[in-house]
Amino acid sequence: MKDNPASCVSRRRFLTSGILAAAAGVCPAHAAETTTIRTPAAAASGIEPFRGAHQAGIITPAQRHTYFAAFDLAAAGRDGLVKLLKTWTDAAARLTGGDPAADLGSDEAAPGPDSGEAMGLSPQRLTITFGFGAGMFTNPYGLASQRPEALVDLPRFNGDQLAENFTGGDLSVQACAEDPQVAFHAVRQLARLGADAARLRWVQSGFLPNTRPGETPRNLMGFKDGTNNPSTGDAAAMGKFIWVDGPEWLRGGSYLVARRIRIALEHWDKMKLGFQEQTMGRCKYSGAPIGGAKEFDEPDYDATDKDGNPVIAENAHIRLASHTNNDGAKILRRPYSYNDGANFTTERWPPWRQDMEYDAGLFFLCYQRDPRTGFIKLFEKMAKFDMMNQFVTHTGSGLFACPGGIGEGEFVGQKLFG
Amino acid sequence: MRILTASIASLLLAVSPAGAGGLLESIHRHVTLASTVAGNGDLNPYALIVAPVSAGRIHEGDVLIDNFNEISNLQGTGTTIVDYRPSTRSTSLIAELPRRIAGCPGGVGLSTAMVMLKSGWIIVGSTPSNDGTTRTKGPGGLLVLDPNGKLATVWSNAQINDPWGNIACIDNGTTATLFISMAGFDVPGPDVRDPKTGYPVTVRKATVLRLGLSIPAGKPPVITSQTVVASGFGQRADKDAFLVGPTGLALGSGGTLFVSDAVGNQIVAIPDAATRGDSAGTGRVVTSAGLLRRPLALTMAPNGHLLVINALNGQVVEVDPASGKQLYAQWIDADEAQSPPGNGDLFGIAMIPDGRGFYYVEDDQNTLMEAIR
Repeated sequence: MKDNPASCVSRRRFLTSGILAAAAGVCPAHAAETTTIRTPAAAASGIEPFRGAHQAGIITPAQRHTYFAAFDLAAAGRDGLVKLLKTWTDAAARLTGGDPAADLGSDEAAPGPDSGEAMGLSPQRLTITFGFGAGMFTNPYGLASQRPEALVDLPRFNGDQLAENFTGGDLSVQACAEDPQVAFHAVRQLARLGADAARLRWVQSGFLPNTRPGETPRNLMGFKDGTNNPSTGDAAAMGKFIWVDGPEWLRGGSYLVARRIRIALEHWDKMKLGFQEQTMGRCKYSGAPIGGAKEFDEPDYDATDKDGNPVIAENAHIRLASHTNNDGAKILRRPYSYNDGANFTTERWPPWRQDMEYDAGLFFLCYQRDPRTGFIKLFEKMAKFDMMNQFVTHTGSGLFACPGGIGEGEFVGQKLFG
Repeated sequence: MRILTASIASLLLAVSPAGAGGLLESIHRHVTLASTVAGNGDLNPYALIVAPVSAGRIHEGDVLIDNFNEISNLQGTGTTIVDYRPSTRSTSLIAELPRRIAGCPGGVGLSTAMVMLKSGWIIVGSTPSNDGTTRTKGPGGLLVLDPNGKLATVWSNAQINDPWGNIACIDNGTTATLFISMAGFDVPGPDVRDPKTGYPVTVRKATVLRLGLSIPAGKPPVITSQTVVASGFGQRADKDAFLVGPTGLALGSGGTLFVSDAVGNQIVAIPDAATRGDSAGTGRVVTSAGLLRRPLALTMAPNGHLLVINALNGQVVEVDPASGKQLYAQWIDADEAQSPPGNGDLFGIAMIPDGRGFYYVEDDQNTLMEAIR
């Protein structure tokens, strides 16, 4: 009934399937994976340095778990905000070093200074990354004039179904660790310590599979996710695409876009393998671009079949996301999968299935030098045309300016208050 | 949804002998032109027409598309018309109407019934609902807009009830004749089932209404005559598709009007449609079943063949109305996210004026497409 110009299945299989009539480029089912994008994780007991030129948790090789929280500011004024940031910085420095949030002491008549569930666990490569939302740059804090131009309000994208309880926030705290309890513990301590100045707005946990070092992890769609990332070891690329030049408090920082993306996994699972691959533009098992042989082969977006139609579909996910089709725009994707149970939902595509469905998908986190030339530029077009849109719905969103690295004796964002 | 690219040859199901001069055999490429989602989030593209003249903010050759759903995706609630300009590949909003308009019972939910006259006036149908189903639908009406998208007047009366299918038109400039299918007479909600079939009940009261118009200089058109030229078509509610009824209208030679009877899964011919004084009932069957899968919009190709959009798969079917033969079917939407591919994705179709092929819309991604040589 149809023939694909390039397919990912083995020749033997398509000959027997009787579905595919001709294949110009056939992906090996299990291509060798030799190139690496992730450095091997430090030993699980390792400490990721909290202070440095950049905040940890951005180009840090991704830990297996994240716990992200967005807060609304409740601090009465500038002093209250500074006190909050100092408190959080001190506690974060202790937690990432494997210490409790505060000295435990021995006062049994008072609540413990630390909730204790991370006791006995190593630091587990814990990183805590802070971000400032647009709401911080308002009058109570005297910061209105210092809102960076690039800290825009994200536009409404086509298909957005953002829920209030997963969107926005004046401050973000992202904890990442090799152990989920360590990550949650960190946010839990900060939320408690800052309760009089910052109110929890929304949270999202996420996880990565225990993939072998050097392999690109797969997301819940079963595809490798992050193959096309710029190399975090390439300082020039990081300087060009990820790190911010200024203002001073943001120098060496980055803009974080967080998107909670629900995936209709039940719908996706019913799709033929070949259709999933056309949607993605990649072979599922090898990760190679369609028409290519290996994961890190450059996709050939100009390749066409005999009728002049593109081999990698016009609206395939990787084509629309690629820097080669977006004036060179690159962002650093640092996504996690999420899995929040199941609830009754209506899919938003024909045939508009209604059922109990997994509330699971991708907690997409990406860093960039400027969201206007990063995520916004890339996603404007993808939101309209990406074939994957008929399986995914963006239900949460936030944009945060992550200040530059925290020096010895400094608190996060200190230069903003200079 | 462009996914199956090299596929046309094998997707053409040739039924005719060689040399039939079919259009679809020359069509090889399917290209996404634009998103049809309006700035307010309206989606579900229904009507698709090509502007015959330049007037107001519209240029000749612009493609006008209306949206049937508002942002919540409830059917029968869309209020926008977008304009795609091929010369600049840009999209703009032509009209955003209020949800409620005096004289348009039930409100506004823009349907596949839309036409632009040479005088610049746009006439668009409303088949409105409050909850996305026919349970709360009203009879709607026909809205007359100027070429800047401003509402000039509303037509509603006892013979206008949910104007549904694409409009066929004879336009002489100062006068015009419109053919519009009406598919809302006494249709209940989708939960009212026929115990024999299990489907929502079919009500055989749909009509094709002919409107004679006079267009005074500088003023909106006025209805000078109104005649039911066909009647008794099946119409029924549908939970997914909102309404199933006669949808495609296209004029052939000798004053014959072709109608796609979606419930009957057939194309029928209404003889002398422009002149007859009475109803031809459901007309003469031209072709039925075969490659047809609940036919929707129709258009007449330059070779005199009908192009018929299928609802229940992503195919367009080419029919020779003279012989009644179904010549080809082509997958213009092979999106496997639906089963069968493209099921529920297609609706409107219109020929590209320069003869390169045709425009169509896709509901899975809310896009305007072109199918070209």
